[in-house]
Amino acid sequence: MAYVAVSGGEEAIEASIRLLEYYRSGTEKDLDLEVIEEKMSLLVDRVMSEAGLYSKTYAALALKQCEGSSDEAVFLLRAYRSTLKRSYDSLVADTRNMRLVRRISAAFKDIPGGQILGATYDYTHRLMNFELQQEDAPALCQKMLQEIEGQEPVEISPCGRVSDELKAEGLIDRFEPDDQEPFDVTQNLLEFPAPRSARLQTLSRADTGFISGLAYSVLRGFGQVHPTVGELRSGYLEIDVPYLEDPAESLWIGEILLTEVEVFNEADDKDQLKLACGYGAVMGRNENKAIAMAVLDHELNTTGDYPTQNDEFVLLHGDSLEMNGFISHLKLPHYVTFQSKLDAVRKTRRENHD
Amino acid sequence: MEKRRLSRILARAGKEQVRQLADEIKSAYSPVIVKAPEKSLTMIRMREPVQESLFYLGEVIVSEAIVDLEGAKGIAVLMGDDFDKVLDMAVIDAACNKGVFQRYDVLEQLEKEQTHRLERENAMFMQTMVNFQSMDSEVTP
Repeated sequence: MAYVAVSGGEEAIEASIRLLEYYRSGTEKDLDLEVIEEKMSLLVDRVMSEAGLYSKTYAALALKQCEGSSDEAVFLLRAYRSTLKRSYDSLVADTRNMRLVRRISAAFKDIPGGQILGATYDYTHRLMNFELQQEDAPALCQKMLQEIEGQEPVEISPCGRVSDELKAEGLIDRFEPDDQEPFDVTQNLLEFPAPRSARLQTLSRADTGFISGLAYSVLRGFGQVHPTVGELRSGYLEIDVPYLEDPAESLWIGEILLTEVEVFNEADDKDQLKLACGYGAVMGRNENKAIAMAVLDHELNTTGDYPTQNDEFVLLHGDSLEMNGFISHLKLPHYVTFQSKLDAVRKTRRENHD
Repeated sequence: MEKRRLSRILARAGKEQVRQLADEIKSAYSPVIVKAPEKSLTMIRMREPVQESLFYLGEVIVSEAIVDLEGAKGIAVLMGDDFDKVLDMAVIDAACNKGVFQRYDVLEQLEKEQTHRLERENAMFMQTMVNFQSMDSEVTP
């Protein structure tokens, strides 16, 4: 059998792309973007986070376009993002001012501002709810609207962090605010050792499964830490940009849903024990990803031989677009390179037989 | 009214509410579009609490428009791709800068309603506040 380089296949490729429509044509019911946005919000959050682009509507559109594949949706959003110019860097957003919808601590039961469970699956029985097969969606929507209308308003007040108290006590190192411009991994090639800003940006947009698996390896023993979640908070973060006509003013452009985590672990100082922190922040409600990010942030501050202590290993292999793109390329034609390998094997076998 | 407050009220308001305010201005003046609404990106800068350093979380899609109202510029930037709303917001901003915007009472009423809506939603979340029953005192910070 001979192996040769080939060209062609254009018509087959066009037919293949048309066939993708076939897979989305199994029903006459349309999938409204609002439905994806509102009822698949955790998937939308994941896609936005891994794309590094906060747009619920476009994330929903991307998911609709690619049959719900999160990595294809990330690809679509990243591609679209590359067609837009960047007009602004926001003013520094301060998560201390978040409008909280959830806030818990595994370190202290009594925290200033209290523990707010918010909406969580943590305490649900994981039993299938077959009633949802016949759900009355308008009734559900109306019921919740009425429930909100019936509430007595409760003033929204920001909450300090749990770590603020520990810093005040000297148990955690305090740092002066550092206003150095962050490294931007979307504009610059990552170099190692990576600056802290590059690490956080890369982890925040990393594939959820990748960093969750890495953090799991740390906890199972392939790492140095088994940290405690000092604080996990989800809420709405207000975003402002400068007002171009007057530097003293700013514009409020909207708010994003965000999950933020701080983990604590014991650390040695020169002559006393203290606590060290890891930090995670991700778009949307994605708690395990935020915790995994915080675990890895802390782990990367330690030295050793575990993969999770190597920033090049951790930061270069978890980008959804890059890793799926590279794995995906393996299925594309490699006729010439494979023929070369085959020739080498045949030649070696012939020489051995001779 | 501070720009941050003005833009927050308008951003949280419904499209029709903003349109009504802008239409009142357009009926009395002739704003000229300096920069037609277009989409772009805003990078979110955040401060992390561990070393108090800055980092980029990711980007949001924004729409931006600039208008001129008899020599006064109006600027609006808004998350999302609602071109009509962002253009109306720019008209209102220009009217404020020109000193001819009259409907601050409407803005204050909208703000009040928005705050109440958020506070009612907040009440639902605050109902999930945990009330621990403790047998021993905890060593707390």
